[in-house]
Amino acid sequence: MRLVLVILGLVLIFPALPLGRWQAFTLDTAQFAFIATALALSWDLLARTGQLSLAQGAFFGLGAYAAGLSAGVLGTIPALLVGAGVAAASSLLLGAATLRLQGIYFAIATLAFSEVVRTLVLKAGFTGGATGLPVAPAFGGGWALGGYYLAAAVLILSVLTSLWVGHSRLSYAQAATRQGEATARVLGVPVVRVKLVSFLLSSALAGLAGGVYAMKALFLSPYDAFGLGRAVEALVIPIFGGLYTTLGPLLGGLLLVALETWLRLEIQDGYLVIYGLILILAILFMPRGLVGLFRPRAKPAQEEPRA
Amino acid sequence: MKRVLVGCLALLGLALAQTTVRVGVLLPLSGVSSVSGKAALNGIQLAADQVNAGGKVKLELITADDGTDPAKAVPALTKLMTVDKVDIVIGGLASGVTFALSGPVKQYKPLFLCIGAASSVVEGAFSDYPLFFHYHPWDYNNVTAAMDFFKYLYTQDARKIAILYEDGPFGSAGIKTYQEQLQKVGYTVQAEPFKTGSGNFTAILTRFKAYKPDILYWIGYDVDALPIATQVRQVALAPKLIYGAPPSWPVGFEKNPLSNDIVGMSAWLPSVSNPESRKFTSAYQKKYGELTEEYMAPMGYTIVMSLAKAIEAAGSADKDKIAEALAGVKMDTPFGPLAFKPSETGKTKYQGFGASIWFQFQYLEGTRRPVFPPSVATRPLRYPGRY
Amino acid sequence: MELLLQTLLNGMLSAGVYALVASGLALAVGVVGIVNFAHGEFLMIGAFISYLLFASRGIDPLVSLGVAAVAVFLIGAITYYGLIRPVLSAPELNQMLLTFGLSVLLQNLALLLFGADTRVVSPPYQGSTLSLGGLSFGGVPLAAFVLSVLILLGLYWFLGRTRLGLAVRAVAQNRLAPGLLGIETQRVYLLAFGLSAALAGVAGVMLSVMLYASPTVGFAFTLKAFAIVVMAGLGNLRGVLWAALILALAEALVSTYVPGGGGWVEAVFFLVIFGTLTWRSWRRA
Repeated sequence: MRLVLVILGLVLIFPALPLGRWQAFTLDTAQFAFIATALALSWDLLARTGQLSLAQGAFFGLGAYAAGLSAGVLGTIPALLVGAGVAAASSLLLGAATLRLQGIYFAIATLAFSEVVRTLVLKAGFTGGATGLPVAPAFGGGWALGGYYLAAAVLILSVLTSLWVGHSRLSYAQAATRQGEATARVLGVPVVRVKLVSFLLSSALAGLAGGVYAMKALFLSPYDAFGLGRAVEALVIPIFGGLYTTLGPLLGGLLLVALETWLRLEIQDGYLVIYGLILILAILFMPRGLVGLFRPRAKPAQEEPRA
Repeated sequence: MKRVLVGCLALLGLALAQTTVRVGVLLPLSGVSSVSGKAALNGIQLAADQVNAGGKVKLELITADDGTDPAKAVPALTKLMTVDKVDIVIGGLASGVTFALSGPVKQYKPLFLCIGAASSVVEGAFSDYPLFFHYHPWDYNNVTAAMDFFKYLYTQDARKIAILYEDGPFGSAGIKTYQEQLQKVGYTVQAEPFKTGSGNFTAILTRFKAYKPDILYWIGYDVDALPIATQVRQVALAPKLIYGAPPSWPVGFEKNPLSNDIVGMSAWLPSVSNPESRKFTSAYQKKYGELTEEYMAPMGYTIVMSLAKAIEAAGSADKDKIAEALAGVKMDTPFGPLAFKPSETGKTKYQGFGASIWFQFQYLEGTRRPVFPPSVATRPLRYPGRY
Repeated sequence: MELLLQTLLNGMLSAGVYALVASGLALAVGVVGIVNFAHGEFLMIGAFISYLLFASRGIDPLVSLGVAAVAVFLIGAITYYGLIRPVLSAPELNQMLLTFGLSVLLQNLALLLFGADTRVVSPPYQGSTLSLGGLSFGGVPLAAFVLSVLILLGLYWFLGRTRLGLAVRAVAQNRLAPGLLGIETQRVYLLAFGLSAALAGVAGVMLSVMLYASPTVGFAFTLKAFAIVVMAGLGNLRGVLWAALILALAEALVSTYVPGGGGWVEAVFFLVIFGTLTWRSWRRA
């Protein structure tokens, strides 16, 4: 918890740090890292109910497109909210249909959902189709640090939501659902509601992250915005950092993106070989993720890190 | 002692006469476009070696990978501009990435030498940017070049065209224009999208069978070349010509008998016989020990050569002076003569190459040979081809 | 009518390779309990074995089928020993990240070694065409289909009729009891995972002839294979054949009869999966 706050503090004062000539680059990289981390935190919110989603990329893409399309008319902040709203609304539909699916069945159903949505966006006329959609920068490009603080705001919002859920009664219901749905139901946990609420929160945050991404990338194409790579990154980060925690995805996301960037700068050719190797070693040697290194073996019921 | 002093003075003189410039190179070295990106980088490094050996201009290249991904390309450009402090950037190969770069380019204002990015959406994005030099033809130039060939085929009694286009940005971007233009020439056109890399064409080709097209025109990637060539035979479509328009072809495709008679468009082949092209291929062979078939390699080479010429003419490392000199550069390249003019739409001021660099080649007897336009043809077009 | 028959034939022929890739994956998921994201990379290795043997020695892909089966079986076995065994009791998500890491590693290793270029083999029979009545189809897809069916029949026979095969099925059904009955679970896992990889390797050789070899050739097929396995139901090997057939037919019908259908093929494929999964889950309840 304390570490989480320290990281968030760093995020806020980051632009003021004396990084010299590296400043602009690190700020740019940090923005994309914040977006990826926020997406990972949002994935983890749903994962806490035991549902492994591969649709996080779809919500990200829906949020990105909705925000990108409406930004010209509504302005930056309302457009981002529209993005989050569209993502959340579609998650209700998907959530209601897939309520009874579990494990890999749920994962593949959400994967199928993303593929179908991607094709729809590709074929629809108003989205720019395959050619892509140009998006205006946040706040009309007038505020140099605007993009940075938007990304930071999404990250902070995700962290706060994650912490809040972790400390609320919802977390117990989530853990019960994850450990055995039938048992949870018997114990009086409203499993359906728990799942839907988690899905809703998770997808709204993903949509928000997508919108911020759109305003930074300035250009959306269905293959980029709905890429499976993004959905996979959203689950790689929490597993690497530590599942069902706030600190895990936060630390994992910032470290993994930093690591990848550094490897790309230093090695260039074939840097992803090393990246893959690191993922393998991480699983073999830190099975509980990064946060597993910070604390002694936690009691099973304990969900929040004490770090 | 005296000799040493003279030597030192000579060196000093050389150093003073030499203009040193740092150049950022931002190319897709990983991701979807990495084949083209690596070829371009090879060409760029080859040219930089030659320029540096010449002694008048010294180029320092700082290379970065854009990953064919906006999320990687934008920070990479920022790093080139703020950490490496370059004033000149060569890059922008994939259209989507180049579009995303338009924001930071306008912010940091480098002299931007754009190697690819044929999409006219990109042209719109850079229309108000004064230091934008675009070497590659725009997509409407590509259409013009292809249409000349299709007009010729029309005189050979081709009337019906079936188009297969991949449904990503590469295949779909110009499809409407192509259809309209072909109809204007007098063709009837049927177009079907497909998913690149799926290798599943039999169903669509079966449907085309009832239409009996004279020409099968496919717009996709190298991965689709062989499946289309085999499946056309398997469904017995028997078109008179297969015309492919991928950004690059499979390695060793010419050795595969199924490639025989297939026609495609390129801006350059190693067999192109103008003096600059021969100079380039022999130098490339010497440095890398193998030939390249990718036209992005001579494109990268051409950009650096023209830049060196501009720097020499400007006699300064100042980007505005270099840009001014570059605008006036006239030189021979492996693609033919290069001189910057406003683009056809007038949206951008410095357009290097136009429709004229494209030519049609045909896979014949295990190699690719230029067949159209007649001015560059080394062989007559085999039409109808046997598939 | 002829068009319909031709379409059904097209669909059926492409179902063979789908089923082969998916059956391999079904073994890994159903028996060993590992969701293997690197399955497509085993396929890619098979395709490159075929390409390298052909390009360097002119060896026919038919011969490479055997070479790839053995080589990729060994790679699968080594993967099992080195990477999978240590995480057998770890949470499912950890296993997934591990195989994802392996997939990234192998794919980029191939990129480093061979570049991103698309490569082709050219055996003499590659473009061979057969016609039957008004129908016409390729010799290679037909051979690949027949071979896939034979391999799968062999697999079913092995699982249904041999002691070792029964042991594999026993382990698939219950992780604890076979151990008590004296079946060496570890050996069974090793065998199942190796077989799973070998099937992908063989499919890779076939695809090198029909499509191409490149570091990313496995990706599209893995995604579909996952969908097929899940549609069949975990551990249901026979169902894989049916699921592959249904999906391949749906694809062929859509791209033949729907104008512009080629762009909707993927969406229909996944829509069928989505529909089946959700419908089944609601019916069950």
